[in-house]
Amino acid sequence: MTFMKYGLTGAIAGLAVSATALLANPYAEYEGTTLIVNFPAHPHYNAAIKALPEFTKQTGIEVEVDQLPYLKMRERQTLELAQDEGEYDLISYVVFSKADYVYADQLENLAKFFMNPKLADPSYDADDLIDGYVQNIGVAGGTKGYLPGPTGSLFGIPFGSETSVLAYRKDIFEKHGIAEPETYEQLLDAACAIPELEPGMGGMASRAASGHQASHAFLLHLAPLGGRVFDDAWNPIINNAAGVEAANALKTIVDCGPEGSLSFGPSEAANAFSNGDAAMFLDSIAFMPGFENPERSSVVGKVGYAMHPMGVRRGSQTGGFGIGIPKNAENKEAAFLLMQWLTSKEGDLMVAMNGGNPSRFSTYQDAGLNEKYPFSATFGEALKYADPDWRPIIPVWGKINADIGTTMSKVLTEGLDIQEALDGVAERTRAVMDEAGYYTWQ
Amino acid sequence: MKSTLNRLTPYVFFMPAAVIMIIALFYPLLYMIWGSFRRWSPSQQIGETEFVGLRNYISLWNDPNFAESMGVTLKFAVSVVTIEMLLGVGLALLLDRNIRGMSVLRTLFILPMMIAPVVVGLMWRYIYHPTIGTFNRFLDTIGVERVDWLGQNALMSVIIADIWQWTPFIFILSLAALQSLPQSALEASRIDGATGWQQIWHIKIPLMMPVLIVTCLLRLIDAFKVLEVILVMTEGGPGLSTEILALRISRTATEFRELGVAAAMSNYLLILLMLLTAAMFTYTKLQEARANRLRMAVEADD
Repeated sequence: MTFMKYGLTGAIAGLAVSATALLANPYAEYEGTTLIVNFPAHPHYNAAIKALPEFTKQTGIEVEVDQLPYLKMRERQTLELAQDEGEYDLISYVVFSKADYVYADQLENLAKFFMNPKLADPSYDADDLIDGYVQNIGVAGGTKGYLPGPTGSLFGIPFGSETSVLAYRKDIFEKHGIAEPETYEQLLDAACAIPELEPGMGGMASRAASGHQASHAFLLHLAPLGGRVFDDAWNPIINNAAGVEAANALKTIVDCGPEGSLSFGPSEAANAFSNGDAAMFLDSIAFMPGFENPERSSVVGKVGYAMHPMGVRRGSQTGGFGIGIPKNAENKEAAFLLMQWLTSKEGDLMVAMNGGNPSRFSTYQDAGLNEKYPFSATFGEALKYADPDWRPIIPVWGKINADIGTTMSKVLTEGLDIQEALDGVAERTRAVMDEAGYYTWQ
Repeated sequence: MKSTLNRLTPYVFFMPAAVIMIIALFYPLLYMIWGSFRRWSPSQQIGETEFVGLRNYISLWNDPNFAESMGVTLKFAVSVVTIEMLLGVGLALLLDRNIRGMSVLRTLFILPMMIAPVVVGLMWRYIYHPTIGTFNRFLDTIGVERVDWLGQNALMSVIIADIWQWTPFIFILSLAALQSLPQSALEASRIDGATGWQQIWHIKIPLMMPVLIVTCLLRLIDAFKVLEVILVMTEGGPGLSTEILALRISRTATEFRELGVAAAMSNYLLILLMLLTAAMFTYTKLQEARANRLRMAVEADD
């Protein structure tokens, strides 16, 4: 009986192999594999999960999703990736986790998969992937360690990435003859003009809560106004003129913003905008589809979308998530196939139509998508200016980020002098960097 | 032989509890102390980490953010425990009588304690909301200027929420203590012509003291470790104005990824709490000794 069974299985396997040879199905070898993937609870990944049954139908590879809130996800991965044998075959990671995972040697270098002719799809068209995202989220080991460059290599592919755009109330702007803000000067003027023209309405809703949120809000303005956290030799330059200008911009925006701004996270800020409490919202594209949802927004159809205004340069946010294969994964090759499929032209469009954030330029130009989400083309345009060096992605960033956030919050609430506050950040940042060994070669 | 076995019996019965204590209490504690001497990122297993001696402790000592957080914690703990003790004991004294429906009232009073901390945090966050919150809407209707609860007055707002939640705890324990006081002492004082206030000051409070001290200690320990409500309400902001130690420890471990420093911080907190407990117990011991001495003196007089 056992013999029979083996014989039969063997025969079927043999048939399958020959059938594969005939039909050239690259997925055949992995049919029946079950992948375990770790995704965050995020609109983009909810959309991606809706596309997974189609992947299983096409390839025969089953996918099991472990979905967690994104900060929880990071904690979980930190534990999971340090094991000898991990549970996950494919993980989604927050952009600033790249530094931690790559530095701890926990993510697979993707070169060996793209070099493997049996795995890599020749029609993948990597040039179509949004360049700023790939550099920011996928590549490590080049310039400054976290950016691309001659020594860099690819550890992940952007999936659920985000940039910043400006949403503004077309009706209010038209009513008072204010032009769509293209520069920071116009932006700040409009932000403070609106509360006077429209009593009860704040200029711009911005995140500002202490910690990560305040730091994020400050960084949103730092890059376009010409600032950086570090110069090329890792000296903190956050306290130069551009840094002060960025902090001033944030203070102006919060002072002229809707009531309660000081404790806003991004969702509260987005809510204030969709309730009509503010005339502008400058943040991640992930929040924008919510403004066009009649169930949750009172401003449907009244919102215009523009590129992140320009200071001395264009520099919109790069952030969000990428997907990578853990070093300790069990089914790496099948995981690569899933990764490639999700970020292929077909997969990317399918996820985008379900409400996800595209990773490809071509998806943003797709006619069907633009019909469903009218702002897609603007976003695609904005992405050309997404700044990969928007924030330093280094292992000690968590600590510096928290310090910037706390200090900014003190500037906003306690009226701390901006120059003094930023000098303090620079000094403490230098100490952190020194301890982490960034000045070893100086 | 048999007597040896007999003498061992208590230890045999004691073993399971001891084993559980060792696994559940001493092992993690020693692990934390061991970890606090190391430079330890969550991506590393503890074996791969570098031994740094007392550096984590020393750098914390010089860290202004840690000092500020410690200050916030002390301010928070001292204010909530003082106010809660006053209110809780006061309420207990007021309600220690036969009112109809007392049992229903008592249940109502302790409701806040039973609500999950995260829910309490969310609830208060909405109450404090600058525009649609209950408080500010009320202030609007009576024509008083709105208050920026979680912005400018964050620490006070957090303290109010904690008082709301935990006063009932003190109330219920004080009430239990009051109701078990020896009626004879109260009766004797009444016959001697003591007024209500005199009864409270000279009889009820001193007799309740042992219970009050334990209650106060429990609340104090809890207040030093409070996390969820503040996490949900303010996440420690604005600035560091509500960043209590427990929150800073959790941020150090997850956001800054410095497990060694977080462990050192926890140890500082542990030492502080142990000192407080020791101080309280010494105080009770002294009180008892004094009471004993007095009693001896009285008996000697007789």
